[in-house]
Formats: sequence, C-alpha cells, structure tokens
Amino acid sequence: MCSACGFPAAPGHWTEAGSPTAHDRLRAKFRRAQVLQNVLPAFGLKAFAGGEIPGIQISNLSGNETIVRDLDEVWALAEKLSGGPLDPLDPRIVGAE
Amino acid sequence: MTDGSEGRLRLTVLGGYLGSGKTTWLRHQLHEGRFKDAHVIVNEAAETPVDDALLGQSSRLSVLAGGCVCCTAKADLILLLRQLCDERSSVAKDQPRLAQIVLETSGLADPGPIVEAIKSDPVLVHHILVSEIIVAVDALHALSQLKTESLGRSQIEIAGQLIVTKADVAEAGAVKTLLATLVNLNPGTILSGASKGVEVPLPEFAGVAPEILPDLSLQPARPPLTPTRLYLDESVDWTAFTVWLSALLHARGDDIVRVKGVVRTPAGRLLLQTVRKIVQSPEILPEQGDTHEDNMIVVIGRGYKPDQLKRSLKHFAGR
Repeated sequence: MCSACGFPAAPGHWTEAGSPTAHDRLRAKFRRAQVLQNVLPAFGLKAFAGGEIPGIQISNLSGNETIVRDLDEVWALAEKLSGGPLDPLDPRIVGAE
Repeated sequence: MTDGSEGRLRLTVLGGYLGSGKTTWLRHQLHEGRFKDAHVIVNEAAETPVDDALLGQSSRLSVLAGGCVCCTAKADLILLLRQLCDERSSVAKDQPRLAQIVLETSGLADPGPIVEAIKSDPVLVHHILVSEIIVAVDALHALSQLKTESLGRSQIEIAGQLIVTKADVAEAGAVKTLLATLVNLNPGTILSGASKGVEVPLPEFAGVAPEILPDLSLQPARPPLTPTRLYLDESVDWTAFTVWLSALLHARGDDIVRVKGVVRTPAGRLLLQTVRKIVQSPEILPEQGDTHEDNMIVVIGRGYKPDQLKRSLKHFAGR
C-alpha cells in the first residue's frame, strides 16, 4: 500500500505478521509446528520445529526429511510427497458428509 | 456552457471484480483530493464491511453491507440515493450542495443493472446523472477470470473507463494481451494503468492479438460465488489461522476468490486481504475506529459448504 494514503504493512512473510518480537516469533514457530501436526499425519506426513533447526522439518513415513522455510514451501512439499494438494476441506479433515 | 448534468447529482460508479483494486484506487484518489466533496457509498456483498476502514479520508461515507447492490441490496441502494437527493434538495440554493456521489460496488456486482435501476427510478432519474463508470481490472488475474467468469466480462463491457491495476507487477507480454482483449471486449473504452492507486503508463499493444475467449453460454454454469463469514473465536489464534489459510489457498486458490477481514494479533489489528492465491502483506490498522467486526473474516468463493470451512479451521487449531 502507498505509504502516503495507506497504513504500514507488517514486514516479513504474511504468516509471520502477527509476531512483533523475537519471543512472539519463537512461540509462533512452535505453535505452527503444533498446528501442522494436527493435520499432516492424516496425509502420512509429520512436522517438527525445534530450536536447533532454522525452519520446519517435514518428514514422511519412509523417513524422507526436508527442512522448509515457510508455509508456502510446506504445502508445495506436502503436495509433492503425497501426490496432490493437501486439501483442508478433505474428508480426512472435515469428516465425511 | 452546461456539463449536461442540468443541476443533477453526478454519480461515479466504481466497479471491478473481487480483489481488482477498487478500494486501493479510490483510497489514493481521495488522498489526492479527487472526489473531495463527494459522498462515497461502499457496497460489500458480505455483512462484514472492511473497505470503510480504508476510506477514512472521504468526507461523507455510507456503507451498504450484506448484499450486492445489483441484486439483493438494490432496493437499499435506491433508498439511500433517494435520501441523499432529499437531503440535497432541502439545502438552500445559495448554500454549497452535494454535487457528486461515488459508488464503489461489491466485486460481485454488475454495474449494468445498477445504472438501469437508477435510470428507471421515477425520482432518481431527475436527480442523478450517471456521469462515469470506472472499472478496475486486475492485470494479474483478469485474463484467467475472463475465460471462465461472465461477470468479469459484463463489468468490462459496460465501463467507460478501465483502470488496469497491478500492471507494474504483471508480466509485460501478458499485460499487452490483456489490453488487446479489453479493447476487443469494449472498443470505446478509455484505458489507464495504476499501481497502488497511482497512475502508471501502460505498454504499447498495437498489433498484439487479443485472447480468444470461450463462449461461456455453451459451458455448464458454475456455482455462484458466495460470501461466508468466519468468526475467529479465542480457540483460533493468528498462527493457526495462517497455517489453515495458506493451505486452503494453496489447494483451492482458484475457487477461494477473495478473503478479507481484520484480525487481532500480538502485533495489533492486522488487515488481511487475499486475491486468489496472492496474500497482501497485512496492514497494521490503528487501534481506534470501529473494532466491532474485528476477527470476522469474509471468504468469498465456491465449491464448498460454509460449515466445512468452519470445521476445517477448528481441526487445524486443534482446540
């Protein structure tokens, strides 16, 4: 947005916009992994974020591990590993109709 | 000399598809002093208005939320316009009177029926002159929309002026094809380019072939786009919401046409807006102002049930 007529934009990747301090960012990182862990196992994947790795570690059942930087990369990788986009409205998530 | 308005109120209709940049453009025009004394009417199809928060620079602003003014909320629009005409008529002739109205339609609106409704209203026809129809066209998404959405075509066909937004970030060849396609759809229109509301030059496109658009009447009708309101209660924090939304846009970005709303986060009130798969950097809104719609997110799309969105989000949040 134009700096004259708009409001300032939050810096960084949009998903990290809600974390103004380093403390908030660390907490968000762990929470992100926890949220991913609520979803990925239904698609045969696992997520892990520890203090010692820079991003999010995604692994599949055969033990392939990849570290990705942000959520866009998580979904691109999940699509590659599970053979199709991971749909949040999949019956495995929202239940059968 | 007469401007043809014969003392009537001039009405500017600002239309364009969901996320095409209508509000951004209008916001910058207001900042520059254009439409300075105009009464601005903002229409939003969902019941949660967001754009009014961004148009604080207009001197007079009305919001028509909860229906699109070309169909479900048409009666509300006529009522509001009649009211504005009444108020104006009650001001003495030697006093400054309202001279202009700017109507920003919802992205789901076809300006055609709006203009027809005004012209066929026995009161408004004597008081209001539709002086210009400006339509914003998103340089990044318009070509693919035009291939599948008849609404996008109707909006472009009726425009007197087309503003090609985001032209600076789209690929130059695609912009040229888009411009040729626009002129093909609406040969008399005035074309201009804009980036964040600021006018930018458009590339030369003489000799460029327009995109061949399929005949949509031969294709099965697609389900209509509908707005869904999602309330983020205390069980859904910003992080869970972003994980969910990023996944949703990755998988269904072609069907989730627009998401917008104001979310409360540790960093303050964030204005979130998406257009298909693209998420704008959230803007940090001031704490003051109307906050009662905070945490209410509007999702406009097709191909799902509102309840599925809610269940999916809860599942992600895991609480």
